[in-house]
Amino acid sequence: MSRYLEKSVLELHELLKNKVISPKDLVEEAFLRIEENEEYNAYITLNKEAALKEAEELEKIAFEEDNLLFGLPIAVKDNIVTKDLRTTCASHILDNFMPIYDATVVEKLKASHMIIIGKTNMDEFAMGSSSRTSYFGAPKNPWNKTKITGGSSGGSAATIALRDVPFALGSDTGGSIRQPASYTGIVGMKPTYGRISRYGLVAFASSLDQIGPMTKNVYENALLLNAIVGRDEKDLTSAHKKSEDFTRYIGKNIAGMKVAVPNYFMSDIVNEEIKKTVENSLSILKSSGVTVDFIDIPYLENAVTLYQIIAMGEASSNLARFDGIRYGHSKEQPESIDELYYGTREEGFGEEVKRRIMVGSYLLSGENAKEYYNKALSIRDDMRKALLDTFQNYDFILGPTTTTTAYNLEDPMDDPSKSFMDDVLVIPVNMAGLPGLNIPIGFDKEKMPIGLHIIGSPFDEAKMYGFASVLEEKLNLKLNPKGEENND
Amino acid sequence: MTNYMKTIGIEVHVELKTKTKIFSPSKNGYGMGANTLTNVVDLGYPGTLPTLNEEVVNQAIKAAIVLNCKIRKEMHFDRKNYFYPDNSKNYQITQSRTPIGYDGYVEIEVEGKKKKIEIEEIHIEEDTCKSAHRKDVTLLDFNRAGVPLVEIVTKPCISSPEEAKLYIEKLRETLFYADISDCKIEEGSMRCDANISLRKKESDPFGTKVEIKNIGSISNVKLSLEKEALRQEKLLENNESFPAQTRRFDDKLNDTVLMRIKETGNDYRYFPEPDIPYLYLTDEMIEAVKKTIPLTADERREEYMARGVSKINSDKILLNRSLSDYLNKFLTTDIDFVIATNLLLGDISYYLNKHFLKLEETKLTTDKFTDLVNKLAEKTLTSKNVKDMIEDILQNEASIDEIIKDKNIVNITDDSYLEEIIAEVLENNKESIKDYLSGHDRAFKYLMGQVMKASRGSANPALASKMLEEKLQNLTID
Repeated sequence: MSRYLEKSVLELHELLKNKVISPKDLVEEAFLRIEENEEYNAYITLNKEAALKEAEELEKIAFEEDNLLFGLPIAVKDNIVTKDLRTTCASHILDNFMPIYDATVVEKLKASHMIIIGKTNMDEFAMGSSSRTSYFGAPKNPWNKTKITGGSSGGSAATIALRDVPFALGSDTGGSIRQPASYTGIVGMKPTYGRISRYGLVAFASSLDQIGPMTKNVYENALLLNAIVGRDEKDLTSAHKKSEDFTRYIGKNIAGMKVAVPNYFMSDIVNEEIKKTVENSLSILKSSGVTVDFIDIPYLENAVTLYQIIAMGEASSNLARFDGIRYGHSKEQPESIDELYYGTREEGFGEEVKRRIMVGSYLLSGENAKEYYNKALSIRDDMRKALLDTFQNYDFILGPTTTTTAYNLEDPMDDPSKSFMDDVLVIPVNMAGLPGLNIPIGFDKEKMPIGLHIIGSPFDEAKMYGFASVLEEKLNLKLNPKGEENND
Repeated sequence: MTNYMKTIGIEVHVELKTKTKIFSPSKNGYGMGANTLTNVVDLGYPGTLPTLNEEVVNQAIKAAIVLNCKIRKEMHFDRKNYFYPDNSKNYQITQSRTPIGYDGYVEIEVEGKKKKIEIEEIHIEEDTCKSAHRKDVTLLDFNRAGVPLVEIVTKPCISSPEEAKLYIEKLRETLFYADISDCKIEEGSMRCDANISLRKKESDPFGTKVEIKNIGSISNVKLSLEKEALRQEKLLENNESFPAQTRRFDDKLNDTVLMRIKETGNDYRYFPEPDIPYLYLTDEMIEAVKKTIPLTADERREEYMARGVSKINSDKILLNRSLSDYLNKFLTTDIDFVIATNLLLGDISYYLNKHFLKLEETKLTTDKFTDLVNKLAEKTLTSKNVKDMIEDILQNEASIDEIIKDKNIVNITDDSYLEEIIAEVLENNKESIKDYLSGHDRAFKYLMGQVMKASRGSANPALASKMLEEKLQNLTID
């Protein structure tokens, strides 16, 4: 059997158009690859039967030459609900949950005739940064099986790095797309808050959550974003924005652009090898005519603390609905309503989720809400203003995506604050509702990927893709952990 | 026994009249099969988000206007977190920090004196689902989950159970006539909680507060507060203290019963609802809502009384919205409102109630009603005639004249027929004629009565009286 899924989306589109291959061939190849890569544990649920059927159905309708996504397989993070396809959030409490509706993004994928291959592994309810809090076991890093993929969208990151499928959706509350993208050498975009409907994304922290595309290169990332954005009447926080082509600046000249690098992002908290790799990229950018300034931006160092208060507060309320009454796991033979609540949640939730619900509940209790949550919201506004001010003078804010490369799966999990420190560089973006993009820019000594974090002003994704594509081309990295294909 | 001052505050939940629910497109309806008016949002499915029904905001603005409240221009929703099976998300979306309306009042009349009952705030929130307990199971009906509510909270400014009753009556009338809610206490579209504390004099601190939950009728508002005041008085007289508590009124015991002692610091972990953006109201939006408010109950009452209708009859008309709406069609005409209200409250209501009909379901056109009122005013028809004709008036397409003809309602204005009757009466009552002639006024009344009786009530009294008098005067000359 010939293999195609390493190829670029443009090449796949030509092959489909010329009937060299069919959507069904691609779906079959995707499942074959997933089977070969089973040890990476990237998936929780596969959609084999329905996907093959959909592929067959597609062969009956006219090929859409203008739709580059037509007939292509996609993986969806398991906290995005899919009708009649189990959606677990990697939690025991939902391990039997069969949704009766599709998330708005899923409707959009289906409208583009993309084929959902399966639901990817993740941290339980997206709470974690190594995907190790999954009830279904952690996914493994395609560059080194003993390393974490990062998280929480670890399964989506792994399946893209493994070239099982060309596209995946992740979600990002405090770095959950960009950090695993960085650890696995792929491209991951957290769009502006409001860019994509959250309807059908199981809420972790409502004011921070955002769905985003994960792909092997910048262009394909922009293509997928084209298909999933837009105001949704079912999500009041979704933005009223005209449709646009996010690929329109790809490959365009970036000379004359100005970028800011916050000193905090290149301080001692970041590993030396990563700093050097980022500096290398900055040199390339300078030689392309980009001005690079190192500046101070206030509040960045407070982001993690604020994030913990806001995210855990909201999570404690969002996760209250899992009570064993209407869906999901339910304590058997409870003696009373309280026993149903306690039993269901005790059995159903993992340790990290319970910890965050408890801390979040405490933070909102009585006078604490004023003391912590409200204060955090107000400092968050200040932080957002400081970041927005920076965009008065600069096109982008740059820095490393992570402070280290992917660490060992076996590293201890007993320090809960470590997980948040993994995300120290990416969290400010969620707090300010900005778009943030990870692109791979090199490797460390152990051949683990290193990522650059490009932060844009609100709704500036197209320009970010254009900028990233120029650097991507100049770096010309080999990004398939198993093969030799170039990143095109 | 000491005379205690009562301090009463009232919280009322009112379901808003809207087509759909507050946060989802499900229909807002009552009396449908269990769980037929629900969707994934109402059931709190994972991943669902609330939308906001604009109709709800408009209804709440309307409520704030008719209750004389100030309206907040910038507001948000909050989550009230608590675990209970009737609450699908285990949080209720409400307005805790920024209620849409505040500092309003409702004016009542207590023993002829006007008093303003001050309203602390009105806020918007969602209703919970309905639970039914059967033996060892609890059944949940989510039709009510997400039905829009406003909660109206008074200041502790009510000083007697009678005032409390008058306030609820006035509130109900006001909201009902503004088309905000159907205010049916028995169906739960209006729910009432009252709290009461006693103290000896104004300068004392407030006494221990007792809340009476879910009072089932307006008359029970007064009754339960009276009983509760009495209970507290007895305890205070015996120097017994009691904890803050929640009670309910038991119809059979005719007294309040303890539900639970109030726990201090009930912790609802309120925080701003992140799924619904801030709401900004403009003066234009508020003006637009103002224009949709129909004639208020007070305005209607004033109109009726200006047309000579008594306060009692005006109030009675207002108890039945369809009668009041009907009567309002004649505000621009010059028909006699006293006769019109008497007709509506009398024969017409009697017939409608007897046959379980609504006025809108009858054939009583405005032309027909005008004709009927005018004929009564001109005394070309008597109330006895109307009683005989009422079924035809309400159920037949025919005009009043046609009915008179068809039913063979005797043409009482026919002089010759009346003359015959009068002659006959005079022939049979010679004694009374003598009495009349010797100056006894009572005799005329008696003779008039006989004439009316002989005509079986169908004589035009004015005409009959005039003719009788003429006849008698002729007799004198003879």
